[in-house]
Amino acid sequence: MHDDGFDGELLEEELRQAATILDPVPAQLRQLAVEAFALHDLDARIAELTFDSVVDAIPVRGATDVPRMLTFRAGEVTVDVEVSAQGLLGQVLPPQQARIEVLGGPQTATSVVADDMGRFTSDAPPTGPFALRLRTGGETVVTEWLRA
Amino acid sequence: MRVGTVPSAAYDDLPYTRGGTVDRADVGALVQSAVDGDAAAWKALVEGLSPLVWSVVRAHRLGDADAHEVYQTVWFRFAQHLGRIREPEKAGSWLASTARHECLKVLKSLRRLTVTSDPQLLDRVSEDRTPEQSVLDSEEAAAESERIRWMWQEFEELGERCRQLLRVLMASPPPSYQEVSAALGIAVGSIGPLRQRCLRRLRARLDARGAL
Repeated sequence: MHDDGFDGELLEEELRQAATILDPVPAQLRQLAVEAFALHDLDARIAELTFDSVVDAIPVRGATDVPRMLTFRAGEVTVDVEVSAQGLLGQVLPPQQARIEVLGGPQTATSVVADDMGRFTSDAPPTGPFALRLRTGGETVVTEWLRA
Repeated sequence: MRVGTVPSAAYDDLPYTRGGTVDRADVGALVQSAVDGDAAAWKALVEGLSPLVWSVVRAHRLGDADAHEVYQTVWFRFAQHLGRIREPEKAGSWLASTARHECLKVLKSLRRLTVTSDPQLLDRVSEDRTPEQSVLDSEEAAAESERIRWMWQEFEELGERCRQLLRVLMASPPPSYQEVSAALGIAVGSIGPLRQRCLRRLRARLDARGAL
């Protein structure tokens, strides 16, 4: 259907140039993506998100500032996490001690410890994307990256 | 990469693998090299596919803060899943689809928060000066700059469907139709005709304005 000589190809190319100038990928974001290569870890098992209250829960009428509930699972290991303005509150199941790193990006991590019951807390609420890296027994489990 | 055997006459003249044959051919190989620890391959993936991820985020009209976080989440997750992605040659579609889902989640949580007003949903062009903009600011290029801004303004005022589609199509390098489909959740076969219609609409707006 090009009988009227309309050249969509050319117009699209002009739009592409406009986007490159007016709405490019911010340089600092591109750099973060480059640095994200450090997050590549073939040895860790990924705990996938199996429940997210933002998506899976029925909203409570009138309730504001409700903590976000997340569940991650990797095989037998389950990690429940509650994210609120106060920080993180979580539990590893089956209950067990674990060393946990709260990752905030390729270069940000804070350490917390899960007690005998698998419970852990962190006073620092995640401010952007985050993941938990758990070392328990002989294995490492990392939760899927998620936007807090 | 061709999906189904639809008669090509029913669609736009562009093949489904638009862009794919040239710019996307190496994606599978780059993913494999990155899995093997090649940081340069990873960087090449970021360079080649970042604009696609960004375009998906922008197509969904996220505010700057949310846009930045979704972009990061998508790349962090991609790094995490690297080596576990079933079809490495379709990494672009994986990224586009992940970006779309994260965007929809943000929009859902914003609605849920019953925000008083939604300033975050307003698309804003970054105020940061890019090198290209600085060049455009020179006097000789002022007219060109004006023309580009007009075009952008008219693009922004297109209907939502067209604005979304064109924002993703204009990523650089051009995405394949598979990637556009993953980015917006629309069938590959409907992209060509829709694209043509949207570009015509934009052309008409520009003509009405007397621009270009």
